[in-house]
Parts: sequence; structure tokens; C-alpha cells
Amino acid sequence: MHTKDQRICLWLVPFFGSLFIFAFWNFQGFFPPMSPTMSAEEVAAFYRDNLGNIRSSMILCNVIGVSLIPFYTVIVVQMMRMVNASRVFAYSYLIAVINGGTLFALADLAWLNAAFRPDRDPQLTMLLNDLAWFAFITPVGFVIVQSFCLAMAVYLDKGARPVFPRWVAHFNIVTALLIAPSAFALMYKTGPLAWDGAISFWLHITTYALYVVVMFFVVRAAIRQQDDEALSVPSSWKEQTA
Amino acid sequence: MTGAVLVPASGSGTATKGFFDNPKLDQWICFWSIPVFYTLFGVIFVLLGRIMPPPTPTLSTAGIVAFMTSPNLSLAVVLLALSLGMYALNSGLMLTQMKRMEGVSPVLRYAYIAVLGVGGLPGCLFPGYMFALGAFRPEYDPEILAMLYDLGFLCFVGSLGCFVIQYVVFTIAVFLDKRGIFPKWLGYFSIWTLVTELVATPVFVMQTGPYAWDGLLSFYQGTVIWVAWQTCVTICLFRAIKSQPVEELGLPLRPDEI
Repeated sequence: MHTKDQRICLWLVPFFGSLFIFAFWNFQGFFPPMSPTMSAEEVAAFYRDNLGNIRSSMILCNVIGVSLIPFYTVIVVQMMRMVNASRVFAYSYLIAVINGGTLFALADLAWLNAAFRPDRDPQLTMLLNDLAWFAFITPVGFVIVQSFCLAMAVYLDKGARPVFPRWVAHFNIVTALLIAPSAFALMYKTGPLAWDGAISFWLHITTYALYVVVMFFVVRAAIRQQDDEALSVPSSWKEQTA
Repeated sequence: MTGAVLVPASGSGTATKGFFDNPKLDQWICFWSIPVFYTLFGVIFVLLGRIMPPPTPTLSTAGIVAFMTSPNLSLAVVLLALSLGMYALNSGLMLTQMKRMEGVSPVLRYAYIAVLGVGGLPGCLFPGYMFALGAFRPEYDPEILAMLYDLGFLCFVGSLGCFVIQYVVFTIAVFLDKRGIFPKWLGYFSIWTLVTELVATPVFVMQTGPYAWDGLLSFYQGTVIWVAWQTCVTICLFRAIKSQPVEELGLPLRPDEI
């Protein structure tokens, strides 16, 4: 009864997810990722040589950049269903989602700005490119808090039928731990922690992609459970709050 | 009656066995993140980054390069990127307690969520990134380094608007609240803090003197009063959580209440 909007938001994930895969593949700067050790002239040449791909990819990313927010708000609504002592983790989760989304929106604007005038002083193109990569790879603090809030809310869910199974909490903690080291891309130009490195780039985006796929199925199951409960106990809300 | 699981026998709200049996565990976790976060904040901005107290806006080019290449500046911003999200826990806790207020509609809570969703980025993480960019490549042209330096400090000291509106929303909520979740003097204190934010507005024009970004009024006064305010809010939050009756806990929201 109340879940049609949630199911719509949920099914936006595969739609926008496939657009993301296309945009990332088309960008040319991700597979393999641009190296932080490129000189200013090399960065400027990269933008000149791949202008069409960069612009088309990042214009698409600009449009769909925060398209996962409806999915995360479904998670917020599911967190509100949990029998927790308060809504504190749901509120914190929502605030973390807003902040994380803002940073991704900033990254593609910096990439687009760098591509806007390919004949700009190469130093400025490099500056915009650095800013874009920083904003794309390193603001992990919000993902960590998001996963932490969801995990704690699941651990503390005292409902007879928990909204999410317990392993979802472990899964969120592991995800946060795997993504966290990417913050060190602010410090290193080479090695696994650099923004093109095995940990900061490959582990980060693989983990995140897997996270979204797994959470898609977990949330789908939670919405189905909500449908079942609405059918079996139509007046449950009144009873519980009486 | 799944909600009843959490409610112990009446009157035993404070006599819990241990930390993990505490019915308000979720709020206490968020509460204790506040001192952890602000301790880290001090380590990041004062000890490692040397961003507070700020160097002068009239620093020479050589001085700016020296600031950007100081050994732990990058590490400070890394820690900031890792930990800034913790302020979402702090904000979520404020909202949870604001929700208990009587005579305060959700409008102030929504405003508070929206303001906090904006707040931390221009005033904290973005300046951190400006400094991290300079530290990442000290070989940038000196003018670019100087611009990153200005942009960093103007955003860090001068990003006031979100906090002004945060104080306005919070103050209105405290004064309207008939239940006294937070004491009224905290409302007056918030107005005082708001005024010190306004006093810092000339940082965008002044390069020397008390109104510059390293000035007595813009930086030191504002910082001292803000630290005092944050301490008081933390103490008041502690009391608010402590005095919250356990009967209030654990009920799921009706769908139209979310």
C-alpha cells in the first residue's frame, strides 16, 4: 500500500547504474585511471585528445551524479521501520547521504570545467583535474558514517522480524573498512594508495559497485517484507503507538 | 507490541546493567562521537595542519610555499576526509532531541537537516581540499598556491551563512519548546554565538587588523565563544538524553510521521 514509491526508487538503481557504467567506460580517464604523476602538459594533452569522450561522459555524470539518493532515502524509510530506541541513526544517515552526494556533484563539474577550454594554461587544467580526482576518490568519511549508521541500526533492531538480516550490518562494516583507505590518495602520488592505485581506485570502485548491487537485493527483500506486514496486520501502527 | 521489548520495568530507566544494555545505547554512541570528533578536530587543525591559529593573509610567497609544504598538512586533510562524516552523528542526535520538543513543528527539524546537509562542506572539507591540493603539488605556479591559500582560509574562517541559519533555527526551537528539552539560556548563548559569526564577515575585505582572518575579533573571539557554545550544547545534550523517559523510546513511526 505504501511501498509503490519505494519500489519505483529501487528500480531506478539498475537504470542509473547502467548509465554510470556507460559513462565511466566512455570517460577514457578511468580504465586505466589517469596517473597523479602526469605532468601538467600531459594532463592538458589528455584533455585535448579525449575532449569528446570526457565531455559526453561528464555531462551524463552531471545529470545522473546524485541519482542514487532516491535509493538511499528508501534505506532511510526502511530504517524508520526498525524497532530502534530512537531514529538517531536514520537522521544521521540522511545527513551523510546529502553531504556525500554534494561532493560527487562537485567532481564532475571540475572535470567539465577542465575540458571547457582545452587551450587553458596547463597548470590550471591540472589543478581542476586534481580537484576532480580528490572529490571523486577521497571523501570517504560520509560513506563510512552511512554504513556505520545502517550497521548499528540493524544490530540494535529489536523487532520480532528484523527489517534487514544481521549479516547486512557486518557487510556494511566491511564495506566501510575497504573504502576507508582511499582518503590517503590525498597524500600519495604512487603506489596502491594513490588515486589510480589498487586500493584507492580498484578496490574502492569494485567494493562500492558490489555494495550497491547487494543492497539493491537486500532493500527489495525489505520492501516485500513491509508489503507482507501491511497485508497481515493492517492496523499494526495504531496498536504499536496506542 | 514489538515496541514494548525495549521498555524495562517502570522506574528502572537509569539502573541498567552495563553500557550495552542501555536502552538509549544508540543515542549514547552518537553522543560520545562528539568529544571524539572535536578532539580529532583539534589534532587535525591545530597540531597536524597548523591551520588554527591561521597564518596572516599578508604572508609572502615563500611563506605560503612553506605553509603548503609543512610535513603533516596532507595527513591532517586525510584525517579530516576520514572523520568529517562523524558530525552527521552529532547532527542526528540534535534532531532526535529536537523531535521531543513540544510546540515545535517538524518545520524547524527539516530546516536543521537541510542546513547541516550544506554546512560542513564549504566551511570545513572544501578548505581542507584547497590546502591538500597545495600540499600535493608544491610545484604549482606561486599564484595558484596563493589562490589556494586564500580560498582555503576565506572558506574556513569566512563560511558563516550555514552556521548563522543553524543558530537561528536552533534558537527559535529552544524558545518555542514548552517542554524545556534545552534550557532557555542556551538559546541566548546561541544568539551570542550568531553575533560573533557576523563580526567575522569583514574577513573578505580586510587583510590586516582585528577583522582579518587571523584577527582578534574575526578568529580568536569567534573561536573562543564557539568552543564555549559547543561545550554547553554537549553538556545540555547529555542532560537531555539522560532525562529522557524510557517510555518514549522504541516505538516505530507511523508511515505519515516519518
